[in-house]
Formats: sequence, structure tokens, C-alpha cells
Amino acid sequence: MELSFAQNFSLIALNAQDSLHLTTAKKVSLRCMAAAAICELYLDHGFTMKKDVLTLAIQDLEQSTTTLYQETVLKAILGKNENLSDTLPHYLTHVTKLSNKHLREVELTFADSLKVIDELEEIPNLLGCDLEFKTAGISLKEYRSNAELFTRVTESLRAEILEEGTMTDESSLMLWLLRESGCLYDIFSKEELKRVVDRINEIFESNSLAKQVLPVNIHKSIEMSVKNFLTIKRQVMSTPIGTGSNFTFPVFERSQSIFIDTEALFSNKEDRLRDVIARLEENGHTFTVIHEGEVPVIKIDNFLYEAIPTAMQYRFPVQGVRLRKYPLY
Amino acid sequence: MSRQRTMEKILTSEYVSIGELVRLTGCRYSTLKFYTEEGMLPFEQEEENLTRRFPREKAIAKIKEVQDLKKSGLSISEIKNILSLLHR
Repeated sequence: MELSFAQNFSLIALNAQDSLHLTTAKKVSLRCMAAAAICELYLDHGFTMKKDVLTLAIQDLEQSTTTLYQETVLKAILGKNENLSDTLPHYLTHVTKLSNKHLREVELTFADSLKVIDELEEIPNLLGCDLEFKTAGISLKEYRSNAELFTRVTESLRAEILEEGTMTDESSLMLWLLRESGCLYDIFSKEELKRVVDRINEIFESNSLAKQVLPVNIHKSIEMSVKNFLTIKRQVMSTPIGTGSNFTFPVFERSQSIFIDTEALFSNKEDRLRDVIARLEENGHTFTVIHEGEVPVIKIDNFLYEAIPTAMQYRFPVQGVRLRKYPLY
Repeated sequence: MSRQRTMEKILTSEYVSIGELVRLTGCRYSTLKFYTEEGMLPFEQEEENLTRRFPREKAIAKIKEVQDLKKSGLSISEIKNILSLLHR
């Protein structure tokens, strides 16, 4: 099944984002998803155009061709106005003013449109099994895009951007959205990014739509810095040295240091494993115990973890295991 | 406005771009690029800076052939030799 332009972008932007809370990283994505809905309407000639000025009236949104996510975004932008006339770059900058309430609506309609066709699912986040999150009653889930479609969408985009030849308007707009959402770094390697910069300059000179859109900034610098910092932190902690230091100082990267408490003090290895399995089952994770023993290795949601016996110092010590990513290299 | 072609249109065209070939086969761009550079995928290019055009049916058949040979445990250099012998 072929997805629309905005759905293709949201498949990239929502992947691996926290689905229950409005995190800073997700806000960046949601604003760009709203911009993608505007771009889609522009590409499909949904606006009344007079030279560079695009006009949209509230009754235009009642047409059968308008999707629910387009309607949600444009109603939020129109606000109490009956209609709005503006240039495309100005329409796009409106997304920076969307409130948290509107951003949540945008997320819901986009996520639902993808979930209904089984291209997006919500999976439990492993951090939800952690003692502190569990006792605080915090449940954590994240979005996971359909892996096959994700590859198809990102790889065809990579092909069009990195390959010689003219770029279509969809790809130019997608490139701008990826730049604004900070997703460029997820799709292109450092070396490829040099070619991407050349391509951006190239389309700025040759493509009239790109010339209008590329100077528009819809990202907020603080949000983008937070997102980049968190990404770098996670990357550092994924290295063998990072994993080791994170195990000693779990506060560095909480998402990579999950502590599961055991029911009894001084429990044996079988009891410890039983308690870990019970917690994983309770939170709906898919897992396989690769080998048992003093330090069992468990495959949880396609990642290998060692369950190392340890204790946490609260007002009184709590015994349990800490999950550590199993070093594969 | 230059728009992306729909899947329907791609499936009826004689020639496709590498991006469209990715959409058709689900293969990674880097994989297809590698096959092209190694001379395993036929293409046409009018000038050096212009888009490479791949004959759709032939290219898809060739990709399938390479994948089947890979599944049978052959290395890329062995596959290249087999392909050049087969299509000599």
C-alpha cells in the first residue's frame, strides 16, 4: 500500500518516539509533521492559488479528499478565522505557534492513520520495567514503524537525494522536513551529509519550490539542541566503554540501565531469573532466555541483555538485577 | 511542479530510476548502487550528470537472480563470474 507524503514523513519522524508523553524530541517531530500536512495539501493543489498567495477557507476542509490529519492541522492554524491567505513559507511558519494541545491532536490523528493500516505500532519501553518507574506508576511506550516500509521509504529517499539527476518536489520538501526535524542524521552517514549539503545548494538554485521553502526555519533551537544532545548521549553509551561506565553510573543514561528488583533478599539465580521474567511478561515484552546461570543472557525485543545481580542503595538496600546490553563486538 | 511517479505509473514504464527500483524491490539503495558499480545491473545514461535509467523488467529479474545466488551461499565475486558467463 502506498502512503501519502505526510504519512511517509511521519513514519520516519514518529519511529522510536515516546508514545505516551509529549517529550521535547517528539515536539520537534510533531511540528514538522504538521508542516508535512501543509506541504501535502500544497502538492495536491488543495489551496486556492493566486500567484504566490495561497488561500484556504474553513469550508474547503470539508471536501472528501481532505484527510483527517490535514483537517486537524489546518483547523489549528486557521483558529477562529474563516479563511487565511498567505504565502507557502508563512503558512509553514504557523506550525511553530501550535500549542501542546494542538500538537497532541496532530500526533493522535497521524498515529491513528498509520496504526489502522498496521504500519505503526506502540511497543512497551524496557525502562518501564525499572524499579523506580514501576513503583512510581509510570508506564512507558514507544512508537515502532513497520521495518520493511521504513526501509523502503528511507532508502528510496536516500537514492533520490544522493543520486545525480533532478529531484522531485516531494523529495525537495522531504529533505527540508528532515533537516528541520533533525532526522537527517538518522538517515545519512557523516560522509553522505556532505553530498546532502551540496544537493541542498543545488536545488536551492534550480528548484523554485525549494527556493521558497529552504530558507524557512520551523525548528526551535533549544528543542533541537536538547534532541541532539540526547542522541549523542545515547550513541556514546552504546559503545563498549560507554556501556561499562553507564553500568557503574546509571544516572548517565537511564534508558540504558534498567534495574529490576527481586522479591526476596539473597535470592538464588533461579528465583532472580523468575522475577525478571515475571516483570518482562507483565510489561508485555517479547523475550527469549538465551542461557541461564549466574548471569543469564536474555534477548528482549531483539536486543541481547545480560542480567547482572546487583543491589541499589535506597534507605535500605534493594537486591535485584541490572540489565546491561550484551557486548556483541 | 515535478512530482514523484505513482506506483501504478512505475509498474507500466519501461525505464525506472534507482529510487524507483528501491521502491519496487525493497532493496537498500546502497546495495543497488553497489550492484550497479560492479556492473551487475544494466542501466542507460545519456550524459554523466544525468539520471541513470534502468530497464525495469530486466533490472528486477537481475536483482532477483543475484539475491537467489547469494542465498545459495555464493560470494559477490562468484556471482559476478556466474552472471558474466550466463549472459555472455
